[in-house]
Amino acid sequence: MTLRRRFGRLALLLALAGCTEEITAPGLCPDFCPGGQITVVDTIFTDMIGRDSAFTGYLEAYQGEVLQVADLPGIADSRAIFQLNAIPTRVRNDTGSDTVTVPITVDSARLRLNIVHRDTSVTNLWVKLYRLPIGIDSATTFAQLAPSFADSIVDSVNLSALLASPEITDSATLAFWGDTIQTDSAGHVLQVAQDSTLLLIVDLDTTQARFVAADSGRVAYGVRVSGDAPATLVLGSTEAGRGATIVWFFNFPDTTGTPKASTVSRSSIFDSFVFDPPTPPLDSNLAVGGAPAARSLLRVTIPEVLRDSADVVRATLILVPVAAVPGAPGDSFTVLARPVIADLGAKSPLNPDTVFDGKSRIPMNTVDTVRIELTDLVRAWARDTTAPTAFVLGQLPEAASFSQIRFHSTRTPAFRPTFHITYVRRYGFGIP
Amino acid sequence: MTRASLVLASLGALALVSPARAQDSQFGIRGLGTPGRWESVRARATGGAFAPFDPFSPLLEASIADVRRVSAGVTGATSWRTVDFGSANSSLRASRFPAFMIAGPISSRLVVAGGFSTYLDRSFGITTRDTIDMRGSPEPVSDEVTSDGAVADLRIALAARLHRRLAVGFALHGLTGSTRVSAIRRFDDTSYRTSTARDEIAYHGLGGSASAMFDLSADLRLAAWVRSDTHLRADIRGLTVADDDLPFALGGGVRWRPGTEAVLAAAVAWRSWTGGGLNAHDTFNWSVGTELGSLTSPFRFGVRGGQVAFGPGPKAPTEFGISAGIGKQFSGGRGRLDFGLERLERKGTGLTERTWTFLLGLTVRP
Repeated sequence: MTLRRRFGRLALLLALAGCTEEITAPGLCPDFCPGGQITVVDTIFTDMIGRDSAFTGYLEAYQGEVLQVADLPGIADSRAIFQLNAIPTRVRNDTGSDTVTVPITVDSARLRLNIVHRDTSVTNLWVKLYRLPIGIDSATTFAQLAPSFADSIVDSVNLSALLASPEITDSATLAFWGDTIQTDSAGHVLQVAQDSTLLLIVDLDTTQARFVAADSGRVAYGVRVSGDAPATLVLGSTEAGRGATIVWFFNFPDTTGTPKASTVSRSSIFDSFVFDPPTPPLDSNLAVGGAPAARSLLRVTIPEVLRDSADVVRATLILVPVAAVPGAPGDSFTVLARPVIADLGAKSPLNPDTVFDGKSRIPMNTVDTVRIELTDLVRAWARDTTAPTAFVLGQLPEAASFSQIRFHSTRTPAFRPTFHITYVRRYGFGIP
Repeated sequence: MTRASLVLASLGALALVSPARAQDSQFGIRGLGTPGRWESVRARATGGAFAPFDPFSPLLEASIADVRRVSAGVTGATSWRTVDFGSANSSLRASRFPAFMIAGPISSRLVVAGGFSTYLDRSFGITTRDTIDMRGSPEPVSDEVTSDGAVADLRIALAARLHRRLAVGFALHGLTGSTRVSAIRRFDDTSYRTSTARDEIAYHGLGGSASAMFDLSADLRLAAWVRSDTHLRADIRGLTVADDDLPFALGGGVRWRPGTEAVLAAAVAWRSWTGGGLNAHDTFNWSVGTELGSLTSPFRFGVRGGQVAFGPGPKAPTEFGISAGIGKQFSGGRGRLDFGLERLERKGTGLTERTWTFLLGLTVRP
């Protein structure tokens, strides 16, 4: 190999090696670090929230994703109600083109309730089923149904005992129910659904599930709960696809007059919950939650220091409750803060992008200050001067509980909503 | 390998070397930067001693008076540096493209030259760990501050041979450049978002220089130069954030040719950097070097020493280096490749740096 060739290859090799730079080293400050410093400032901005308002009526109880059932003496009594859809009272008795129908004779029914969650600390948790008059709707009140809940009990299930009973795993059971079940002496069946909710199945005879042909088989029921301690239970609703369903078992005479068995299934056409005492009317505070659902709109003024010369690294909304939210010990609910895409007061549309949301769990019976992290939202506002700087506080999910929290508003200066902001000052580039 | 392919390979190698992006020294971080070396590979392989006499070293204008054909020279360098803080050390690697020059006669006496060189290198990155009090709790943080760029010296020079023994030169220097800078703080606690600040700093400055070369005899040449730069203004988005004095500098050298295949040279330089901030120091630097062998393929060797412009404490850090290199002419003297290797050590309060630098230069006379 000639000397020139060696030179050429050496030059290429060294230059290629040199293309990868590594210039970052541990800094020994201040002697061998730049003159600028990364400075963090931690401040509570008491006047960032300039105006705030509370509004109600966003979602009614019948529009909620769940139905709250509660027996909280001295606090609230909440009962789930639902009405099941009609069934045909006559059926064709052959498979041909004959349009002659015959009446059905109901033998029994099987009601299925979806228990989304329950208070696991309560023993002897009883789920009680009541017959209600058909025709219940969104205007039905707790008081209107009080007589039915007093004298029309249909069945009751000790859910605690049912949960404690052994699982039945034999092949016949699995073939019929599709999964293991738990059952009690009264024949109530409990299954765990794929989403870990509980399916409570109650068989009803003709006195419990009264088939009235004039009503086209429509029936309505109510659910109460009780236990050795204040008890709560949450049932699924039709809005979330977890509403109550009923299977009617009936027979009809075939062409020879022989009874022929059949079934028909129906789901709820209406479900809701009624409670007492009702939610108090809005006042000067910021109301969040309850049924009908209340929301509070808070308008924010971004300080100039955050827009021009700072980088927000953490922003925490601080809210002071007016009072503790009464409820079952150990229970809680979630308050969600979500920005609006236009500030139109009560009708402000919410930003569908959940990336800026902040949330906090509110435990019952405590008056702790509520802190909601809104760092991404405040950072976005600091950079985008065109964005509407307002957000809404709401319950998650809405209209799923009678519980409502109220925070002090800007009209109470000592406890007004504030922002705890941590930001980094603009770095002093260019200073030796 | 043909001569053409050798030239192409070398040009490719130079092109692959990233332009002016490496901090030569941690000492320059808390200062205006690391002053560049206004030396070609040939001069640097002699410790810098040949810089006053080498027309392709952007130090002294009078030396270009002897360029009788349009010529261009370019320098590339790759360095491997270890930084020893005493308690910790780090290995760094960087490449740069510190000098380019083109010169040619415009009359029988006048030669004009232009080009650029690195005036201040401002590429660095540092990382630190700390624990700070956040909302009443200790929070570990990691900081990363980086700067990527340099201040370049754009030079237009005019030289004239006034007498067969005397050449003079003058140059105007436009100092310009920019750095992309960032400061990032990361919190171990994910409740805190990473803070990132980025910006671009533009630098501006002006300078002028004058120089002369005088031949005491056919074998002995003297050179002297003086240079004054005004201020280095740092602007961020049109707003001046710093305005620092730049040095007045002067220096000289002597070259002795005892035989046809031996040349010895020595040079000194003094620069008044003290206007450049708290950590700035005036510097005095010296160098001695030799070039041995035929003009077509000489061997070079040199040593240098002196002070570093920026460093903590009242006393300037010092540097000492040795270098060696070879050159190879080709195409009948129309082109020349120079290779050099330099070992440099800088010592200051709390820090010692050791650097290996590979140098590659190409000079073409079409």
